[in-house]
Amino acid sequence: MNERASRRLPIAVWQALLGAALLGSWQALVNAGKLDKFFFSRPSDVAARIVEWLKTGFIWPHLAVTLEEAALAFTIGAASGVVCGFGLARAPRLGALVDPYIRLLNALPRVVLAPIFLLWFGLGIWSKIALGVTVVFFIVFFNTHQGVRDVDPVVVNNARMLGASEWQLVRHVLIPSALTWVFSSLHISIGFAMIAVVVGEYLGSARGVGYLISQAEGVFDTTGVFAGMAVLSAVVLLVGWGVNRLERWLLRWKA
Amino acid sequence: MHGTESAAIRLDNVTKRFAAYTAIQGIDLEVRAGAFVSVVGPSGCGKSTLLNLAAGLIAPSEGAVFVFGQSLYGLNRRAGFMFQQDALLAWKTVLGNIAAGLRFRGVHAREAEARAREWIARVGLRGFSDAFPSQLSGGMRKRVAMAQSWIVDPDILLMDEPFSALDVHTRLRMESELLELWTASPKTVLFVTHDLEEALALADEVVVLSAGPASRVVNRYGIDLPRPRHLIDIRTEPRFADLYRHIWAQLKEEVLRSYERAS
Ligand SMILES: Nc1ncnc2c1ncn2[C@@H]1O[C@H](COP(=O)(O)OP(=O)(O)OP(=O)(O)O)[C@@H](O)[C@H]1O
Ligand SMILES: [Mg+2]
Repeated sequence: MNERASRRLPIAVWQALLGAALLGSWQALVNAGKLDKFFFSRPSDVAARIVEWLKTGFIWPHLAVTLEEAALAFTIGAASGVVCGFGLARAPRLGALVDPYIRLLNALPRVVLAPIFLLWFGLGIWSKIALGVTVVFFIVFFNTHQGVRDVDPVVVNNARMLGASEWQLVRHVLIPSALTWVFSSLHISIGFAMIAVVVGEYLGSARGVGYLISQAEGVFDTTGVFAGMAVLSAVVLLVGWGVNRLERWLLRWKA
Repeated sequence: MHGTESAAIRLDNVTKRFAAYTAIQGIDLEVRAGAFVSVVGPSGCGKSTLLNLAAGLIAPSEGAVFVFGQSLYGLNRRAGFMFQQDALLAWKTVLGNIAAGLRFRGVHAREAEARAREWIARVGLRGFSDAFPSQLSGGMRKRVAMAQSWIVDPDILLMDEPFSALDVHTRLRMESELLELWTASPKTVLFVTHDLEEALALADEVVVLSAGPASRVVNRYGIDLPRPRHLIDIRTEPRFADLYRHIWAQLKEEVLRSYERAS
């Protein structure tokens, strides 16, 4: 662990230097007039805007809405994905019946659904959550389905010989096996949930980080657009880091 | 229809087909309650199939299986099974794996855990109760599997080449531990192996199966080596060598025949 940390340190330094170099040359190019400040803004301006947002507290309600939508989208999508994936894997005939339709739905680009959801669920948070659910559901659904079918028949037989009832088999063998697959796709589905709700906000809403970006864009405020993007990226990275820790703990039994 | 009283398992003219392939054909086999019986035969002859039939994991195509005189439908509730492959629940700790059978049978968590801890000590895994299977060596995993199947105290133990994946020394230790367990709490054991030495060293009786397809029982041999047996030295005893030569003469033919059929 120590050895790894000491080998990690230099790469982190290099990464920071790379970032500084990129931002620095961006700043320099704008200052030198090679890039138009109107179209490209400036790292220092973006940073100042973010600081201002944090100081005045302007950003928090928007961030809170986006996170709330993403969390609800993830929870609803993951729960329904696990239940459906499980049910269809346990009822193979039903699974075979609906399989082409599920694939068909999954093939739809989600962005085209956004206007429909706006019509159905209004401008509030639920149209964004619906969009997020359509993304998360399919990821979790396919992984659960695969996980249940992937379970080692020898392990199932072992549990049965040890006296497991049908329900105990589900509870102690099939669900843990399926959850392995679900957990290993956690960060993907959470990341996609965030992206989907932001897209939803961008296309029509009155709050949220996506709304901020679209507002700034509407008045050609490039600094605001970049500041919104930076905040969003930072939050997604932070959430991803947390999910990674969670995943490592949940799957600690894996080699 | 004789002697069913004392037979823990009886296969009566059992045939098992997989689609068009006949794995075993017309097998009659009786395992006396409390006996340790080994089944040997060439690879692919149907040894695992035989155990799966006795466990009720698969049903015979023809014939019938009896457990303590009653014909078997569905799972054999009086039997434990140690599988050829790794069959532990990877997401449960050593403690959770060993306690699983008790928990499935409705034993209270506290008590199940206490009894699992006794078994952890008995199979020499003290200090590993919170480890996951992926963190154990192959030999340790087999110890967990052994404790897992013994803790529920089944009347019959079906063991499918349980030690064949282990190195010679670990294997010898595990065999000794198995004999100790069996001496302490006598159960009917049906032990499948491809290794005649192992079969001889452990069993009261060795059953030789013929090469597949349509495998059948070629012969049965009583093993009159005295107990308790000291496995470290038993292979060099003259009586062991005699028995080995005698049975190997028969088994060799089947092994050669299975080579011929494969090529
Ligand atoms: N579920 C199945 N479907 C089709 N064929 C099967 C099935 N199970 C076993 N067989 C076939 O039946 C034969 C006997 O298999 P079995 O696993 O019982 O052999 P075995 O004696 O245990 O072999 P080994 O010593 O290699 O473990 C093999 O030819 C195998 O291909
Ligand atoms: Mg086998």
